[in-house]
Amino acid sequence: MAEERHRGPGPGQAPADSGDEEGSEQESPASYTDSSSFSSNDLEPEWLDSVQKNGELFYLELSEGEEEALLPANSPEVPSVNHVRFRENEAEVIPTGQWKEGKKVEPTLKKLSRILKKPQKHVSRKGPTSILKQPPTLKTGGAVQQRYKDVCIYVNPNRLSSSEVGEPASLLHTLVGIIHQSSWSSGRPGRRQGGQNGNLKYTNEEKLVVHGLVPGSSAIKSSQIMIGDALIAVNDVDVSSENIERVLSCIPGPMQVKLTFETPVVEAEISMEAKEKQVQSNMNNLTKLLWGENNSNVQLAFQEIPHIAMYLSLKLDSDTSKEEQEILYQYSMSEASKKLKSVRGIFLTLCDMLHNVTGGHVISSSLIVSGKLVHVAYWKESDKLLLIGLPAEQIPLFQLKNMISDVARTLKVMYGSLDSAFCQVENVPRQDYFFNLFFQRALQPARLNPTASPSTQHYDACSSLLLDNLPGVRWLTVPEDIKMEVDTALSDLEAVDFAALSEDYYDMRRLYMILGSCFFYKGYLISSHLPKNDLVDISLYCRHYCLLPLAAEQRIGQLVIWREVFLQCHRQASGAEGYQEPEARYFLLIVGLKHFMLPVLLEAGGCTSKIIGNPGPDCIYVDQVKATLLQLEGLDVTIEERLGALPSPCLSCADWFLPSSRDKLESFTNVPYIKLQTSAKTATFPTSKRALLMDTSSSLRTRRPSPSRNSGGFDNGSEGPGEGAGVSPHSTPDLGRKYGRRESQGSGSSEGSGGGGTLFKITKKRHTLPNPFNLGSLKKNLSEKDTEELYNVIKITSGPENTLFHYLSLETVQGIYICPTHKEVAQLSGSIHPQLIKNFHRCCLSIRSVFQQTVFDKKKNNLDADTSSELRETGSGLGPVKEHGVLFECCPENWTDQKKSPPKMTYWVVGRLFLQPQPQEFYVCFHDSVTEVAVELAFKLSYGLAV
Amino acid sequence: MEGLRLCLLCLTTGSGVPVYSRHRGAARQLPFSVIGSLNGVHMFGHSQDVLLSATCTENVKVLWKSFHDSISLIVISSEEDASDHYLHRLMDNVFHAMVMVIGLDELVNIKNVERLKKDLRACYPLIDSLLLASERIGDLVQCVDCVMAHDIPVLQECLDAFIRAADSDFGCLVARGRIVVATEKWWRLAAQEVMLLTWLVASLAPRSSRDYPVYLPHGSPTVPHRLLTFQLVPGVDVCVLCGPSPSLHKVETELVEVFWKPLLEPVKACLRVQLRSFPASIPLHQGILGLLLIKQDQNRLLFTVQAQPGEKPPKDGVGLSLPERRSVLRAFYTLAVTHYFPPERLDERTLPLLEEFQAGYSHSASECYIASSSHKCYALQAEQRQLFLLFQPTVPTFSLRSIATRTLQTFTKDAPF
Repeated sequence: MAEERHRGPGPGQAPADSGDEEGSEQESPASYTDSSSFSSNDLEPEWLDSVQKNGELFYLELSEGEEEALLPANSPEVPSVNHVRFRENEAEVIPTGQWKEGKKVEPTLKKLSRILKKPQKHVSRKGPTSILKQPPTLKTGGAVQQRYKDVCIYVNPNRLSSSEVGEPASLLHTLVGIIHQSSWSSGRPGRRQGGQNGNLKYTNEEKLVVHGLVPGSSAIKSSQIMIGDALIAVNDVDVSSENIERVLSCIPGPMQVKLTFETPVVEAEISMEAKEKQVQSNMNNLTKLLWGENNSNVQLAFQEIPHIAMYLSLKLDSDTSKEEQEILYQYSMSEASKKLKSVRGIFLTLCDMLHNVTGGHVISSSLIVSGKLVHVAYWKESDKLLLIGLPAEQIPLFQLKNMISDVARTLKVMYGSLDSAFCQVENVPRQDYFFNLFFQRALQPARLNPTASPSTQHYDACSSLLLDNLPGVRWLTVPEDIKMEVDTALSDLEAVDFAALSEDYYDMRRLYMILGSCFFYKGYLISSHLPKNDLVDISLYCRHYCLLPLAAEQRIGQLVIWREVFLQCHRQASGAEGYQEPEARYFLLIVGLKHFMLPVLLEAGGCTSKIIGNPGPDCIYVDQVKATLLQLEGLDVTIEERLGALPSPCLSCADWFLPSSRDKLESFTNVPYIKLQTSAKTATFPTSKRALLMDTSSSLRTRRPSPSRNSGGFDNGSEGPGEGAGVSPHSTPDLGRKYGRRESQGSGSSEGSGGGGTLFKITKKRHTLPNPFNLGSLKKNLSEKDTEELYNVIKITSGPENTLFHYLSLETVQGIYICPTHKEVAQLSGSIHPQLIKNFHRCCLSIRSVFQQTVFDKKKNNLDADTSSELRETGSGLGPVKEHGVLFECCPENWTDQKKSPPKMTYWVVGRLFLQPQPQEFYVCFHDSVTEVAVELAFKLSYGLAV
Repeated sequence: MEGLRLCLLCLTTGSGVPVYSRHRGAARQLPFSVIGSLNGVHMFGHSQDVLLSATCTENVKVLWKSFHDSISLIVISSEEDASDHYLHRLMDNVFHAMVMVIGLDELVNIKNVERLKKDLRACYPLIDSLLLASERIGDLVQCVDCVMAHDIPVLQECLDAFIRAADSDFGCLVARGRIVVATEKWWRLAAQEVMLLTWLVASLAPRSSRDYPVYLPHGSPTVPHRLLTFQLVPGVDVCVLCGPSPSLHKVETELVEVFWKPLLEPVKACLRVQLRSFPASIPLHQGILGLLLIKQDQNRLLFTVQAQPGEKPPKDGVGLSLPERRSVLRAFYTLAVTHYFPPERLDERTLPLLEEFQAGYSHSASECYIASSSHKCYALQAEQRQLFLLFQPTVPTFSLRSIATRTLQTFTKDAPF
């Protein structure tokens, strides 16, 4: 664990607007005394001063390992403008900084473990405070000055001290890389326009004009700082030549600082609407943070893409003639988006009129903006209208419909209603952040995670459109014992039985009851003790804030999120059987550590004491969740092993099915498989199965001699038992040994499906059968015999080869889905396979939209059943589709052989919908050589995955 | 809106004056205020350089399209199976049907709206036939419904000779709205023109002979040609597309009798294959209920939902009724074409009015199927041919593919279409 961490508060840390400022001013003395009393206590958690006025907390520390390279490049969670490092008043800078410096020396984890070692002491000192009082609500740094150019750069004072000790050069020069020569500076008067913050004391100190940039420094790397700019603030602390060194010396460790510059160019922009400017500068920083790219490129790229989010009021006051009064909130920044904004009248009129005429809500509109087809989805709530517009090229219409309902749901979970999400002024920057992430996920999913390996990136990019809108969380099956351990730990936590919280101890009611929790590792759900709806709500929140991919990389030093949530199922009055949901409030606490994330849902006010106001996170609960995480920390080896283990069910790579790439791939794939073999020993698979599996995969790789296989016929009966010999030149000794054993069993490749001698006969039979479709019954016999084995193991396709390329299984009832892990996909690299994965996901989108129609029709029919059945007789399109498949064909790229036509590889993408006994969806992608019965595959998949 | 299944409004783009409105299903005029605001939002968008193309609500779809900045069509549909793809095609067809009947000039330079209204009455039969749920599918596929008669070579030979004698290159034999044979040049007309001409002939009241001026929407939208039709037997017409000569009278008296009298039996036989669209001698798998075969290079298609020759019309409640079969096949065709199969031809349209979902695929799809509790469908695309089959639900899913392949083979080798 690294010593130093970078920390930054999160998106929730919106700048307090001026209206609330007064209120917080009054509060602040109390808070400060609190905080100072804490500062003497070295147990005070780091996140405490990030807690916002309304009790919300989004605190993220990155571990040092992620350092400079990562930091400017990505991590959406390190937000932009809202860095609050110092107090806004100059006076506070130094003490805060020193205090921080002293405190930060201690590694967080060590401290945590110390907390855990002496819980009694901790409780006796801290406990009463946290139960009696609400944790202090500290004032966040004042309204962020948006009128100037904000540049976030990474500075590392540690590096400085090690390399350039004793050099008298200024910190501005060495740390930031800005050259300022005081003699040069003209005596320009400090014309600070944004004086409304009461910071006008800045007068005649010399201005810090940039006269040059140090090569290789952070300043020049940012490529945003121009010569001639004037540095006016560091992290919202006004600086001048007087205090700059002092301010910079307060930077405790490697971190991101926000430098605010005044540029001559800015003057023109200042005249622009303040709001627009704010969005824009927000974007500047974020793009840089997220993508580490020259932001002008990104701006340009986004400029051409029409996209918009608006929240409009349908009720128009005719009295007020204010321009754009119906726009309650808007997020858009490109030129093309402005056009969409200008035609908002269309949406309002249509929404109103069509509702009156047809009696149904408006769902979507399609428009052509700047030569591009753009879909706009509507979400109407009382007399307000939420609109999201995205180009059809990126987002198909049926997907956009899902997306807007997800957005609406997430916002409702977070704020209770769309009204409170958009109409409260302090929420505006939060929504800006929210939609910024939203559009980036929608438009450029790959860029959110630029550090990931190319294959992961590709997998994420092409699957995100589909997976991000499934009503579920990505699930990872783990061996029973691990699952047990996790479940036990979670149950212990949920019992709220720890000493500090026992009701007897303080003789008072506890603050919260834990409703449930779930446990993520690298973005995979390992265990969930939450009802499905709550789980989906929480996962939607995590998804919209990109928390799950975040944990996939080793990035989280410490993550603490606290906020009140308004859960869907608790919102609805469940009047059934006299049970009433308690009039309670719910809080979501997410604690993350390394690759782990543990969201906990707390209830206050049911059987626990009532909550008044907006409490911040309670230290004891946070510590307890952390303790649970630390307790489970040891599991990462085992879970990692599971992730690295043989894919289950076994997957093939599309490239293996093309003769051209045979040699290359064999040499390539042998190695990983052998490695996997050894790692699988520790996993729970029975040994006999493993040998079998090995054969499957190896036979698969070797049986690639005939380009004619694409005919769909099964003509490789000729490759009999002898084929193992042909392979040995390619195989490593280890593999050779396996082959030896296999040959001694004497049944050749037939073991692949576990059939032993029976299959040998089948191979012969197949030879005489010209048509693969006639194999249907034959195959059934076979699979009946082998059912048991097949279910336990890994290969779910029939036939001697493993023909499964990819799968996705969605269990709507449990709110989870299962698909191959990133590692499994990464092992199957090739040229065709990534394309196949992309195709698979796109095709699943379409298949799923057909299924959604089926489900929708069914619901409607159920409703109609008692009223009238007349409508149904027209026959609605495709009818109740339960299975849908598409056959794709592909050829290897760069086929150079002019004489022969390129070999074709064909594969199916098949989706299967089950409505009974519980709604489930399966999507599989397999090679076309064997006819599969999709139902069979689906069952094998669901049992094989042991959900 | 109740009872309204589909409503088509035609307005002038500039002034927003309603020109006509046609309906499918129980017709009730939309209130003028609704029409006005529907047109208003479209015009407002136009003024802002944003082209509003479609909007859907929970139960209704509204589509707008304006042509040559002069005529705007608005279509409102409450049918669940009406896809955007179909509705766009419908508006396109309707506009070009208007061009075909009154010419492009009159539509682009509107001098007198009242006169235009009067002129456009001539289009109503054709437009109504496009709006009516028809037994044909050419309006959706943009190809011509054809019939495979028994004596194709004889009829073809006779037609060629007849057309030559009539001093033309363009002619065809139409049996109840489906083409039996046509001259080679006829097939070279734009697909939409061939389709519209056939529908025009079918939509007009039966006459023994007719001389009808038509504008070819793509070939000659401003200069009219003459379409001569002669009824050979009720339901079967022979059509000639020609210039100023020869006169109707000359062809009717001198040529029709001479050429077609000897072939009366084969001509009558064309009507007998109507239901199935191809002779009973062509074997099909028992499980096939309906078939749609498209020959893309020639803009021809075969379409039937009574694929089994001896089949009795399905009873109520058992299996799919004929309109249901048509609806399923239409929906399945739309799904396959809009989501999977690569677009067959580049559209001349410059604006991407419809979402091109297939563009996102890295590999091209060649086959697809759906299985539901009441039916199964299979689609196959190969070498300029597309085959869509509707099956009984009892046919096992894994055998669909082989049946489809065999069926396609039947129509390429054994009985070439």
